[in-house]
Amino acid sequence: MTTALASLAVAQDRQGGPSPLALKAGAGIVLFALWEITVRALAPEYVARPSGIAKVFFSVLTDAGFLEVAAATLRAVVQGLAISVVAGTAVGLMMGRVSVVEHGLRYYVNSLFATPMVAILPLVTLWFGYSADTRLAVVVFASFFSLAINAADGARSVPPEFLEVARSFRARPLSTIFDVLLPSSLPYLLAGLRLAAGRALVGAVVAEFFVSIPGLGYYILYNSRAFKHNEAFVAVIVLVAAGVGFEASIKWLMRRYMPWSRRG
Amino acid sequence: MKPRIEVRGAGIRFGALQVFRGIDLEVGEREVVAIVGPSGCGKTTLLRCINGLIPLTEGEITIEGEPLAAPREGVAMVFQHFGLFPWKTVFQNVAYGLRLAGASRAEIADKAQKFIDVVGLTGFENYYPYQISGGMQQRCGLARALSVAPRVLLMDEPFGAVDAQTREILQFELLSIWETRPTSMVFVTHAIDEAVLMGDRVLVLKGSPSAVHEVVDVQLPRPRNRATLLHPRFAELREHVWQTLMADARKAEFKVTQ
Repeated sequence: MTTALASLAVAQDRQGGPSPLALKAGAGIVLFALWEITVRALAPEYVARPSGIAKVFFSVLTDAGFLEVAAATLRAVVQGLAISVVAGTAVGLMMGRVSVVEHGLRYYVNSLFATPMVAILPLVTLWFGYSADTRLAVVVFASFFSLAINAADGARSVPPEFLEVARSFRARPLSTIFDVLLPSSLPYLLAGLRLAAGRALVGAVVAEFFVSIPGLGYYILYNSRAFKHNEAFVAVIVLVAAGVGFEASIKWLMRRYMPWSRRG
Repeated sequence: MKPRIEVRGAGIRFGALQVFRGIDLEVGEREVVAIVGPSGCGKTTLLRCINGLIPLTEGEITIEGEPLAAPREGVAMVFQHFGLFPWKTVFQNVAYGLRLAGASRAEIADKAQKFIDVVGLTGFENYYPYQISGGMQQRCGLARALSVAPRVLLMDEPFGAVDAQTREILQFELLSIWETRPTSMVFVTHAIDEAVLMGDRVLVLKGSPSAVHEVVDVQLPRPRNRATLLHPRFAELREHVWQTLMADARKAEFKVTQ
């Protein structure tokens, strides 16, 4: 009886209230309107506002120079993440399974994970110069440790019965890594990758601010200083889209190829 | 003829805890031995020792005349926890042992499918373990062990985690699979019926540290099937093993209630 009433209430609520999509769109319109009104009323002409961004949006996105810098930033992020995924997974899995490595590295990896990458940026420029190498190094530094820590957690949490099965069937160490250790740690690795991707984007942009190499970060800095805030904001939108798109594609990959990971 | 499995004076000590000691056991080429005993008596540990997963602290195990140091080719285990990899499908799980044994792709496709059919999982090849029932998961674990054509099959409470109905079905299926290809089989169970129904001998472990209390020679006719359950000797043996195992348990309970 009560369940019937409850489900009726839910159904009514669903029918009565506005749909989630309408809510999202409505909230967006209110926010953009507030932004537009406030900037028009209080701020100088060059401050970014929705109508101004909309005006320049497509011309910026189709500008060859903009596409080039956007590609440079995203390429550095992807390259840096790729290096971190390979190296971080290898180091993390070893930390999780080999106690000598774990005891040796744990404090350093945890400390470096907590180190703000902005703080070491001046040092990195000394090592790699005012070049794209610095950006790549910062991206790797920003993303490596979250991957290593998550890989170590994943390797530690491999259920012992899976390793027992592998031993019983006389699996060689390499095959145990690929058949048991990696797949069992995969949900942890992907959680680490989501975290690392966000940090990598921040790292790339901050490095560009600091060392002035062509990229979205530098584009934002340059246009802000040239009072072209609307153009700068388009670059911000591209960065947000990259972050959200990456997150969404990882979620999609997990749903598509790891249906088992949602069931303990 | 030399027995396929020989256990001599086997003992295990975990630190200060002596789990069992002085266990002797011989299993012939076509013999089924059931191990029963109170929980904590080390029957699962003994089975793991025979698989080569845990080294003995005393005594020796030889398989096919060779001393055991690590898991051997020709010995396969069915685990109580099933031990299916959640990221592999039923087919991939069954193929796992074959693949590690170095079988060719065609051979894997052929044999894995054959044993999937034998255990009645046809049509579920592409399902993941979480999508199938506990009974089906255990069939999958059984198919994985059988597919490598083991000369020694070890089973740790193979039907312990499935419901009573499924358990009965699987018992008779396993018996008929064994009839078509008899091997040395050692299995641990806490179900006395199962031990008597399937075993040629029942090894009763008891005491602390536990040791072989009795070896019951079953001598029920083979092939064993549902009719075996009605055999007067079946009831007699079941009662005998029950008395042997439960005497202590009842004594302990009696003390508590007094």
